[in-house]
Amino acid sequence: MDVPTMEALSGKKFHYTISLQSPIICDKKIEKKRIDLIIECYKKVDFDIVTVDLSAPEYWKPEINPDGTLIDLWGRVLMLDKQRKAWVPYSTIFNNPEDFENFELPNPNAPGWTFAIEYTKKVIGNDMALVAFIRDPFAHAWEMFTPMKFTIWMYQKPNFIKNVIEKLTNFNIEIIKQISEAGADFIVSGGDYCEEKGPMVPIKFFKEIIFPCLKKQVDIANKKGLKFIKHTDGNIMPILDDLANIVDGLHSLDPSAGVDIGKVKEKYGNKLILIGNVSVDNLARKSKEEIIEETKNCIKKASPGGGHILSSSNSWSAGAKLENCLAMVETGRKYGIYPIKI
Amino acid sequence: MSKSKDKIMEKLKELILEIANVEDINKIVIEGLESGIDPIEIINTLNKTLEEIGKKYENGELFLAELMMAGYIATQIVNTLKPYLVKTKMKTFGKIIFGTVKGDIHDIGKNIVIMMLQSAGFEVIDLGVDVSAEKFIEAIINEKPNMLCMSALLTSTMEEMKNVIDVLKENNLRNKIKVVIGGRPITKDFAIEIGADGYAGDAVKAVKVIKELIGIKEG
Repeated sequence: MDVPTMEALSGKKFHYTISLQSPIICDKKIEKKRIDLIIECYKKVDFDIVTVDLSAPEYWKPEINPDGTLIDLWGRVLMLDKQRKAWVPYSTIFNNPEDFENFELPNPNAPGWTFAIEYTKKVIGNDMALVAFIRDPFAHAWEMFTPMKFTIWMYQKPNFIKNVIEKLTNFNIEIIKQISEAGADFIVSGGDYCEEKGPMVPIKFFKEIIFPCLKKQVDIANKKGLKFIKHTDGNIMPILDDLANIVDGLHSLDPSAGVDIGKVKEKYGNKLILIGNVSVDNLARKSKEEIIEETKNCIKKASPGGGHILSSSNSWSAGAKLENCLAMVETGRKYGIYPIKI
Repeated sequence: MSKSKDKIMEKLKELILEIANVEDINKIVIEGLESGIDPIEIINTLNKTLEEIGKKYENGELFLAELMMAGYIATQIVNTLKPYLVKTKMKTFGKIIFGTVKGDIHDIGKNIVIMMLQSAGFEVIDLGVDVSAEKFIEAIINEKPNMLCMSALLTSTMEEMKNVIDVLKENNLRNKIKVVIGGRPITKDFAIEIGADGYAGDAVKAVKVIKELIGIKEG
């Protein structure tokens, strides 16, 4: 949930800015307030799961540019979206691959990364499941360099891009070890692989670089007793078979890109945890009655036999109608009791 | 065109479709110019190849990154040809103001469309991202374009497109300009609701819609 949504739900003002893509809060008191608000809202909505991302490591301080933009841990330049009270990726400090070679990547073994996860676990105990949210290395690099530079370098300097994704994967592997000790129940890896038409990059690139790096992360997570869910928007069907052989579950199953959760359930329901897939576009623009019907339809297709977590296809943001979001959850509570009778 | 010139254009098309190295593509472009090929012919080959790439992307044969690289290659070719195009006085089909609306910083689709429009002979003024209604109006008053194109990727920001159109009306500019909106969440219903002249859900469709509204036929 973004800050405006949480403020509307809780009736409280959150006087600080956040980022949904990068940890930027250095003050641990403010970080606790952020987590307290998240937990309060998730409990109010009656979710079964709390999703929490990484905190900024203790050694880090953000760099603010003269134009008011902020440089994050990863060299991304963030711009403040005042309406959403969030810093969003805007540009990059990397003008060429040499800039990255000279850049000091964040230290995964520095203290502080799992502060939010540990604090959440202390607060919720075993009342709710705890999900740790990390960023996928490909998606991370795509944003870190900006999509156009990433794409140009992917074609002109493929070994460089491969090396970057592998470095980010190694970072994630160290973080996953810490997440398991912090008490998370499973991991969701955010950042898109696909857009409406299909995969964002050629399948060859997925097979040679993205999937091997994904498998390394999944393997370490599973070794530590954690399930690993891959989030991606877009039409995943061209890479579904490969994903099913690597990850434990998928989120979004993006209905706006034509993904039918029922078809995915038929093929991989006995193998994959499916999280989704009420459309966030519909949450923003449809009526409450239409959302109730869509939610019932989703439960009917995906819930029988288990292995389904009802969810929206993406974040609750300022664009989604809160009434619709709550109707989705209420419908889930009403019709999501086994045996499913819809 | 002579046989050898045909071969050069065929090779250029092949390299663009392969998303080949930009240096190799530029070499063929220079070879073409030195053998006497009119730079307009090279632009025409480029644009026909981009249309083919667009169709392949729509059919799922090519991916977003390939579409983006095709746009980048098109920009590089146009840059190489610029000194020669000035001499031949290439026709421009119109002037377009382009921007991602206020509150939204997504620009992949917008940038692809702009690269393709520029190679097709449009003058495009890119206002960037997070563009306020006031900034759009200022640009329209100063530049007197034929068309305004707005992009948004979020359901929370697409409503800003209606605000911009309302401000156009308040400033008596609405009837002087065509308005096209685009982005993943944009639908026909939304476009009609806010009074846009055209809409597109992706970059390839956007180029088609813009050309149709200006009166240029593809193919």
